[in-house]
Amino acid sequence: MANRWGYPDLGFGIGLRSVHYEHVLNNKPAIDWFEILSENYMDTGGRPLHVLDQVAAHYPVVLHGVSLSVGSTDPIDFDYLRKLKALAKRINARWISDHLCWTGVAGHNTHDLLPMPYTNEALRHTIERVKTIQDFMERPIALENASTYLEFSASTWPESEFIAALTEQADCGILLDVNNVYVSSYNHGFDPKAYIDKIPRDRVVQMHLAGHTNKGTHILDTHSDYVIDSVWELYRYAHRRLGGVSTLLEWDANIPDFDVVHGEALKARQFREQEDLKLPAHAVDDGVPAYGD
Amino acid sequence: MVTDPGLERIQRWMQACIEDQGTCEEAIASERARAAISAEEARSIVLPSKTLSSLERLDIYRGMYLLRMEEALSTDYPGLKHFLGDDKFMRMVERYVEVYPSRSYTLNRLGDHLPKFLRTLDDLPKKDFCCELARLELLLTEVFDAEDAPPLTEAAVRAVPPEAWETARLKPIPAFAIAEFDYPVSQYLGGVDEENPFPRIARKKTWMVAYRRDFNVSRHDLERPAYALLSALASGQTVGDAIVGTMTQRWRPAVKEACLFEWFRDWMADGLFQAVELAK
Ligand SMILES: [Fe+2]
Repeated sequence: MANRWGYPDLGFGIGLRSVHYEHVLNNKPAIDWFEILSENYMDTGGRPLHVLDQVAAHYPVVLHGVSLSVGSTDPIDFDYLRKLKALAKRINARWISDHLCWTGVAGHNTHDLLPMPYTNEALRHTIERVKTIQDFMERPIALENASTYLEFSASTWPESEFIAALTEQADCGILLDVNNVYVSSYNHGFDPKAYIDKIPRDRVVQMHLAGHTNKGTHILDTHSDYVIDSVWELYRYAHRRLGGVSTLLEWDANIPDFDVVHGEALKARQFREQEDLKLPAHAVDDGVPAYGD
Repeated sequence: MVTDPGLERIQRWMQACIEDQGTCEEAIASERARAAISAEEARSIVLPSKTLSSLERLDIYRGMYLLRMEEALSTDYPGLKHFLGDDKFMRMVERYVEVYPSRSYTLNRLGDHLPKFLRTLDDLPKKDFCCELARLELLLTEVFDAEDAPPLTEAAVRAVPPEAWETARLKPIPAFAIAEFDYPVSQYLGGVDEENPFPRIARKKTWMVAYRRDFNVSRHDLERPAYALLSALASGQTVGDAIVGTMTQRWRPAVKEACLFEWFRDWMADGLFQAVELAK
């Protein structure tokens, strides 16, 4: 099922990282698409932007940010948005995403994706912010579910339902990070499949996959390893519910060779194809009412 | 127990706890945290999990904060980190971000205040050297990120009539920096990033030009007269004034005219200038 904006299924991409710049420029590998970390290409006229221009001339590129701070109680940073908009235009970004989180208040940026309390107040606040941001950007944005390590006692909504309500009422998209669903479900003890069941299908424009680090008492979302089997299982489940959605593999620490990272992304294709053979594509009725149907 | 102090207070409290460098207990009891939420109330803000207490969960975010800041600063200041060693560098980072927390959407400019900050420390080993090394490393990050501009082509240089050179001005590319240091910091950094031999760390004037060519940052040592000439040109003096100013100073050994031509040739080949501006 397509998303409501008609954003295409770009296939299987990876996050563009500086350790792979040479390989990508020299070999122009056959990869479907790239996602870039927006902030790394703002305020620089140096090599990163030069590489990006060349990458964007060959591949579809999607902008993924970490400093939108959409849930913060600080004023919206329009200077940041202006630069984001210009960058999106420069490289013909297919869409723009960031996270459902806040990164700082009082003018500070902790550069972390900090958890929101899922309250009515936070919901209203974030809906208004998303609307303002989308008006300014003149396009919808997609918000990603972040990995979280704590829950606030003030929360009155499960995260999945908060995201569903937020994205419906603010009319924005969802970047469903399947690994983050798994990480948070481990850390907070919820059912990751039930979480995915609550996600409005027609708002999901992209999925993320990544490896993580299990500390025993909790999981850290380190993007430092291969995707574990349970996350692949969850990806199959998400694919069954959501249909063909642009899928991206994130690897940010201990980054191996390009082909290894790309190979990991291509595993997603196998899982998808297996699922599609099992069931007629998207004619899935698992008895769960989907939002947005 | 449900505690909802509201979104803004929760965020101010959590950030104060993350930025505090004490233990988690000290963080929730800190003035900034208590300005948002009282220490008693703080214990019920975060729910415990099956395996972690509420403060242990908060501590996960606190631990990651400093690691992130250290990672960003060590990318920009590899020489300083090498000199101080991992532990001293980390302690310096802790103190730095307390005074200069990130206020930008990017971590790239987190270290902009570091040379100035180091001046305020009184327990830094070889402090003057550290300050100079940090000043060099900051300059290099600026050169890395500066706007791009094509350097002068040979054809553009040849198109300048010989008689016009004296009153012409040379405009450096944006990704250009020239500096004088009180220590051999560029050589020291060469020991770190290119495995060259390390210099003796003692007071010694050194001169350097850094620039970006084909998106790679390079730097060269300059002799003092070359530094005088290049900085005069970069500051907007006419070619004639810059040369006269340099040649009329007394240098030991004396500067031969042939040197001037060699320097110019090298600077043009390195692409340091983007334009020749002719006098009207
Ligand atoms: Fe993600």
